[in-house]
Amino acid sequence: MADSPTFHAVVFRVGDLICAAPAGIVREILPPLPATRIPGVAGAVEGLVNLRGVLLTVIDAHRLLDRPRRDADEGPIVVLDVAGRQCGLLVGEVKDFVELPPAAVAPRGQLPGVDPRIVQAVGNHGGEHFVILDIEALLAPMLGS
Amino acid sequence: MSHTVLVCDDAIFMRTMISDILTQAGFEIVGEAESGVQAVEKYRQLKPDLVTMDIVMPDMGGIDAVREICKTDPDAKVLMCSAMGQQALVVEAIQAGAKDFVVKPFQPSRVLEAVQRVLG
Amino acid sequence: MDHAGYAALFLTESREHLRACNQALLAWEQDPAAVEPVDALFRAIHTLKGMAATMGHDAIARVAHSAENLLDALRTGRVSVTAGLLQLLFGAVDQLANGVEAAGAGTVPASDDSELLVALDRAADGGAVGAATAEYAVHQILPAGRAVSVAIRADAPMRGGRAMLALRRAESLGTVTALRPAAAAFEREEFDGRFTFRLESRASDDEVVAAIVSAGDVASVTFEDAVPERAEPAARGRQIRVDLRRLDAMMKQVGELVVARNRLVDLALRRSDPELEATAERIARLVGGLQSEVIAARMTPVGEVFDRFPRLVRDLGRDLGKQVRFEMEGEDIELDRAVLDEIGDPLLHLIRNAMDHGLEAPEDRLAAGKPAQGRLLLSASRERNSVAIRVSDDGRGIDRAAILAKARREGVIEAAADTLSDDQLLRVLARPGFSTARAVSGVSGRGVGVDVVATRVRALGGTLAIQTVEGKGTTFVVHVPLTLAIVRALLTSIGSERYAVPLAYVAETVEFDARSVTAVRDREALIVRDRAIPTVHLRHLVSLADETTPRHRPSVILEIGERRAALVVDALLGQQDIVVEPFDAPRGMPSFFGGATILADGAPALILDAAALL
Repeated sequence: MADSPTFHAVVFRVGDLICAAPAGIVREILPPLPATRIPGVAGAVEGLVNLRGVLLTVIDAHRLLDRPRRDADEGPIVVLDVAGRQCGLLVGEVKDFVELPPAAVAPRGQLPGVDPRIVQAVGNHGGEHFVILDIEALLAPMLGS
Repeated sequence: MSHTVLVCDDAIFMRTMISDILTQAGFEIVGEAESGVQAVEKYRQLKPDLVTMDIVMPDMGGIDAVREICKTDPDAKVLMCSAMGQQALVVEAIQAGAKDFVVKPFQPSRVLEAVQRVLG
Repeated sequence: MDHAGYAALFLTESREHLRACNQALLAWEQDPAAVEPVDALFRAIHTLKGMAATMGHDAIARVAHSAENLLDALRTGRVSVTAGLLQLLFGAVDQLANGVEAAGAGTVPASDDSELLVALDRAADGGAVGAATAEYAVHQILPAGRAVSVAIRADAPMRGGRAMLALRRAESLGTVTALRPAAAAFEREEFDGRFTFRLESRASDDEVVAAIVSAGDVASVTFEDAVPERAEPAARGRQIRVDLRRLDAMMKQVGELVVARNRLVDLALRRSDPELEATAERIARLVGGLQSEVIAARMTPVGEVFDRFPRLVRDLGRDLGKQVRFEMEGEDIELDRAVLDEIGDPLLHLIRNAMDHGLEAPEDRLAAGKPAQGRLLLSASRERNSVAIRVSDDGRGIDRAAILAKARREGVIEAAADTLSDDQLLRVLARPGFSTARAVSGVSGRGVGVDVVATRVRALGGTLAIQTVEGKGTTFVVHVPLTLAIVRALLTSIGSERYAVPLAYVAETVEFDARSVTAVRDREALIVRDRAIPTVHLRHLVSLADETTPRHRPSVILEIGERRAALVVDALLGQQDIVVEPFDAPRGMPSFFGGATILADGAPALILDAAALL
C-alpha cells in the first residue's frame, strides 16, 4: 500500500458494517449460490458452492464478524485469493469499487465493536469511513493448514 | 447313473426351487448348504458332480466358497446363482473358478442349459 | 543424426528389457537345465545392445556385447552353467541397469565396468567370438497368436459374466493377451458384450470357436488377420506408448465430461422433449463408452510392479542368510496406472519387513519344526471395485504380548486391556514411530515403517489390514481402489442433504428395522443374517437433529476385510459415477469425509470415506 499512489478496494456491507477488501485479491463477485453444508466445521463456514465446475468453500462474513444479517440481503459472494487458496466470502451487499488516494487511507485504528486484529486500515471515501479488512488474518483460521 | 448335485443357498425357498428344477430333469440332489462354510465342507464330503452356489450367503460368501472349493479341486463344476445387478460379482466368481451362472428369477430352461454346458 | 527424441523411448524400453533379463535369470537359477530363460535373456540383451549402440551409449553396448558372448558360449554348451556364472550375469545386468539409468539422467555410470568386462570375457573362454560386427537390428517378432473378436448376444442377461466365461474358455486353450476392453469393463452393467484379445494356442480356429461358443449366449467369434508388429518384450499385441501425463489429461477431461453428461441428462429429463431426451441419452452412452475406454487405457497389470520383487527377494535372502521360496499370484490383475505407480513403495516396504523380521533364519525355522526354506507370497486379487494385494509370510508372526506390553506402557491403549485384536495390533503398529527394532526387544521390529505404509495406502483411498499368528506367519493386506479419478458411488440422503458413498466398500444394502437391533458391548448393532453389525447413523454423524424417522430405513453395509458397519441413512438415491474434485477443505473437516464432488444437478456433495468410518 505504501508504495502505490492509490489504493483500490472493493467495498461491501456486512450487516450494518461497511468494510473493504484490497482489490488485488478479489477475483470476482458472484451472485448468491446454493451452498452445501459441511458438517463438523466452524459455524462461520457457509459450505461448498459449485463455481462453474470448481468447488469453492464459502465463509459467511456475518457470522465471522458477528453482525446480524439483514433480512433483505441475498448474500453475494466475494471470491478472494487467500494465502494461495481461493475462498468465497458471503456478504450482505457489494457497494462499490473505489480508488483511494494515500491520504484517504489511515493506518489501522480502533473501531468500536471490531476486533483490531482483523483491521488492516481505515479508509475514507466521500466522507464514508470503512474498515479495510486484513483478509488473511480474518480467513486463515477458517481454512485448513 | 444320474448326476449328483449340491445346492447352496441361504434361502430355503431358493434351494427348494432349484432342487425341484433339477430333480425333475433327473438329477440327484445329494446335499444342501446354507452358508459358504457349509458349502465347502459338504463339497469335500460329497464330491458332487455339480454345485449350485448363491453369491451372497452368510459366513462365507459364494465367491469365497468357489475359491476354496477350486483350491482343492480345480475341476469342480460350480454354477453361480446371481441376481440382476450383480454383474461385478459374477465376473469375480468366474475369475475365482465358477464354470457358469444363471440369473434370478430362474427360468427352468435356462438353468438346465447352463447345467448342460457345465457338465458337457 | 540427433537421437534426443528417442531418449525417453530408449529409457522405458530398456527398463522393460532389463526386467525381462532379471526374470529370465531368476528362472534360470531355479532350473539351470531350462533352455527358455537362456534364450529370453539372450534376446533381451541382444536387443539392448542394438538400442544402446544406436543411441551412442557405447559403454552399455560393450557390457551387453560381452554378456552376449558369454551367453552364446553357454547356449552352445562350450561353457557349463554354474552358480558363479549366474552371479556374474546378475552383475552384468545390474551394470547395464546402471548404464541405462545414467544415460537417462544424462550422466556417466558411477561404477567402473572394466573388471566386469574382463570377467565376462574370461568366462566366455577368451576368443570364442570373432569380429565384433554385431548386427544392430531390433528383432522383429510376430505378435503372439491370432486376434479374436467375440460378441455376446445383445439379449443375453449379464453380458459381462458371459463374456468372462467365454474368455475363460479361450484361456483353457492357451495364452490370452491384449484383452480389450480390460476385464474390469466386464463388470459394468452397461458393458455391451464385445471384446477382443490375442490367443496364443495350438488349437485350430474351429476348436477355438467351439470352445468360446460353449460358454453360451455367444453371438459371434471372428478372427482378424495378424498384423506384423514391432517386437515387445511382453508381446502384448498392437501397442503404442503414450505419455502418462497425456492419459492423465484425458482422464481429467473425461471426468469433467462425465459430470457435464450427468447434468445434461438431468436437465433433459425435466424438459420432457423426447428428441432432446433421446440425444442426451445417446451422448450419455457415448460418454460412458469413452470413459470405459480411457480407464481401460490406463489399466496396467500389477505384474509391472511385482516384476521387480523376485530379484529383490533373492538378493535380500542372500544378504540376510535366509532361504525363501517367493511366489507371486494374480500378476495380470489390472490397476489404474496412477494407483500402480503409488503402490510399489509400500509393497517394497512390506516385503522388506517380511524378509527382515517375518521370516526366520534357516536354523531357527528347523528348530521350530518348520522347513528351512520360508515362503513369501505376493498376490493380487479383485474384490468388488477394489484390488487386494497380500504380502504373506510363514515366519514367526508378531509377538502380541510384547506389543501389548509396550502399547500399555506408552499409554497407547488402556492399561486394563489384556488382548489385542488384529485391528488393534495394526493400529498400534501404525502409530508414527511406535516401535523401533530395539523397542520390541528383538522379537520383531514390525513397527518400522508400518506407519509409512499405512499413510501411503490411505492417501490412495486404500486400507491396510494385518493378520498374524504367532509362530505361523503374518499377512499384510493392502486394499486399493481400481482407479482414482472416477468413482462409482451410492448416493444417500439425510433430510435434504445428500452424501456419496463409494461403492468399492459397499457390501450390500439392507433395511434398518428398529426391531432387528441389538446391543453389542453397549453399541447398537444391526442383525443381518445372524451377524451383528455395528450401526453408524449418518444423521448423528453429520450432526443433524433427530426427526421422527420411519422405523424402516435403508442402511448401507460397509465392509473392508473383516470390518463392517451399517450406515443408516434416510434414503438411497441410486448410483452415480462421480469425479472426486479437489477443494480446499476448511479447518476441522471431519476425517470421515474423503472429498467432495459435483452431482448431476450441479450441487456439491461430500463423499464419505468408508475406511474412516470403520
